Amino acid sequence: MIKRLWKVAFAEWKLIYTDPAAVLLLVVAGLIYAFYYPIPYIYQTVSKVPVAVVDLDNTAMSRDLTRMASAAQQIEVKSIYADMKEAEAAMARDEIYGFMVIPENMEKDIRGKHQVTVNIFTHGAYVMFHGAIGTAFSTCALTVGATNKVKQIALGKQVPSAKAIAMRDPFPISIQTLFNSTGGYANYVVPSVLVVILQQSLIIGICVLGGSRAHRRFRKKYRDSPVENESLPYRYFGRSLAFFVHYCSFILFYHCIVYNIFDFPRRGELLPMVVFSVVFLSSVINFGMVISQIFLRRETSMQIFLYMSIPVLFLANFSWPAYLMPRWMTAISYILPSTFAVPAWLSIEQMGADIYDVAPKLYQLAIQAIVYLILGLLLTRIRDKAKIDMGDM
Amino acid sequence: MVLNGLLNTIRKIYFSHNIVLWMILVILPIGVSLFTMGMFSSQIVQHVPIGIVHQDNSQLADKLESKLRSSPVLDIKMVCADMGECEHAVIRGEIQGFIVFPNDLERRTLRLEAPVIPVYSSGQNYLTNMFATKEIRSVLAAAGSEMFTAQIEDPVKVQIHSVGNLKSNYQGFLVLGLVTAIFHLAAMIVGAYVTSFPLRDHRVREMIRYAGGSRLTLWFASVFPMNIILWLESLGCYAYCHRLLAPLSFEEFVMTAAAQLFMIAACSGAGITFVGLTGVMRMATGGAGIIGSPAFAFAGQTFPVMAMPFAVRCFAFILPLTHVLMIQSTMMLGDVNMVPAWHSMEILICMAIFWNILGALLMSMRWKQFARREAKYEEASKLENAPEATA
Repeated sequence: MIKRLWKVAFAEWKLIYTDPAAVLLLVVAGLIYAFYYPIPYIYQTVSKVPVAVVDLDNTAMSRDLTRMASAAQQIEVKSIYADMKEAEAAMARDEIYGFMVIPENMEKDIRGKHQVTVNIFTHGAYVMFHGAIGTAFSTCALTVGATNKVKQIALGKQVPSAKAIAMRDPFPISIQTLFNSTGGYANYVVPSVLVVILQQSLIIGICVLGGSRAHRRFRKKYRDSPVENESLPYRYFGRSLAFFVHYCSFILFYHCIVYNIFDFPRRGELLPMVVFSVVFLSSVINFGMVISQIFLRRETSMQIFLYMSIPVLFLANFSWPAYLMPRWMTAISYILPSTFAVPAWLSIEQMGADIYDVAPKLYQLAIQAIVYLILGLLLTRIRDKAKIDMGDM
Repeated sequence: MVLNGLLNTIRKIYFSHNIVLWMILVILPIGVSLFTMGMFSSQIVQHVPIGIVHQDNSQLADKLESKLRSSPVLDIKMVCADMGECEHAVIRGEIQGFIVFPNDLERRTLRLEAPVIPVYSSGQNYLTNMFATKEIRSVLAAAGSEMFTAQIEDPVKVQIHSVGNLKSNYQGFLVLGLVTAIFHLAAMIVGAYVTSFPLRDHRVREMIRYAGGSRLTLWFASVFPMNIILWLESLGCYAYCHRLLAPLSFEEFVMTAAAQLFMIAACSGAGITFVGLTGVMRMATGGAGIIGSPAFAFAGQTFPVMAMPFAVRCFAFILPLTHVLMIQSTMMLGDVNMVPAWHSMEILICMAIFWNILGALLMSMRWKQFARREAKYEEASKLENAPEATA
């Protein structure tokens, strides 16, 4: 029995490596994307963003504030302007991505115990610049404010400066980022994308190879081949075995090589990793086998699934939470293995989850695998009985 | 005569073909764009699930909890007995962070010992994490400033403005970028499909016959309708999506529309070039997919191009999407934006011309090669059938 299964699996591998389109999808895409996707984010965080300061006060305090901003890691003060329009024009020329306006009479007002407002302007199109510039400038401006407030408290309440500091901020907070201590963008985005890449390339690959073998030319060419004349379960499971082993090697490659090269957090334990690989690949392979029966032409799957990659990525619930999506979209997302696989993979590999933590997601993947297996077997049986002119190359 | 040939070929390519062409030309780009818009329809991050570890059962801790509960951004889902429980909930994805109210919080606060409140957030939820921690910081800071120094105003107040995006609706702008990226990919895929299906179906001679024997007419008939259709669709989707942001002036709209037209022309030209190079639909579509699918990641909207390595910046530069997104983002800045946008527009025009000339040259050679091959096959099959007919 095992021998017959492996025979079909070997025939499938031979087919993969003799079809250039299959090699492109099932081998090259998985390898290229593993490096191609993380490289833009290799520096992980945004630093030294070019910014400017509009100093309308021009006093010792405003110059202190500018110096403080220059020392911030996230930004680099490129210019100091005396007019806001100059800063706006520089932003339009993409020379700077934000600026801080120090108001006129800032020092005078602060010393006179009047509140002043420091305005920070960031480019509205870039969320990362908004975060970096906003944090850097507001930290500097609030530090100036805090120093003065502590002085006011110490003088007004007649307390030592340590107590004045505590009175200004009685319970300071300390924010710790779990599982991505550097706050790196690549650590956040790439692991999820790798799972989606595995899923998409495998589904398209199965469809391009014609999982169902419904193609006229293929059937004519291989009609006498013993492998193609194997009974349905052997053909189905043998082909699945070929894809399973092939993609297990990809998961190992990502875990051992790609994660090491790009220094992503790697906390996955053996048992959850193995169980994840089995249920995830079973679900995707069976899903691919079902989908491959629907298309009459091999390229159609490629054209359609390439369009789907953007929604599939966002439906995976890692960048935009599912509870903010309309319900019907969440329902659609349950069709896709990546909806459960991406959070499960992140929990296992990035957060070091044990098998009990990820069990609910693995169950959902297992249910998908079973449903698609039944559908796949049924559709293959129907296709086997169909006339030879159904579908073509 | 030429016009007749052109119209006949357009009819043959676009109106007597199977559903796949209309799927990839109309249904999927519009459908996927609308789907993506729908996904971000809530626009603002709200109800981020978090947990609380109550090590201190004091009035102050209860007061802070009730303040956090009243925030629309946060949703306190769990009150954990210890940190381990909350940490496992983060791992399971039930909550995205947790706050620890440490032992003796109230006592130490009243003694002015400034006890630190640790906030743990999951680094795997970048966007929600950013909003949640910002909100936690502002809620707790506001509560803290009310305790001892409520009568003393903060000397410096900070206001952060997002230029051209007054409501800080980054999701709205993200969707605009995604919609443009969808059409960037669509133009490559459709370009590859329209020029390669005659090769795949052995219909090159038939198509050239319809075009009155002119490969130039065949080229125009293949390329123009798809570019115009995709451009109109992208404009419609863009306008529908842009209603969430500040309205564009007429000049800004014309600029954006022109940028999209040249992007589509450049991308379809690139898709056609892939066909010219490979001669096989599967390979050309695969190539278009490998370049086009992740283009959004390189185009600088989510992660700035300036923070990427030099080689990647060069790659980003040759993607039309990067320049269109640059034009779209400069259009947000008001009346100072036309001059820099023109620079990106010039690059887009050059790209459109380059890819289309290259694609036309390569396709012309391919059509010639395939027409010859088809003629040879036809002769061979005639010879094969001749003895049977005689018999």
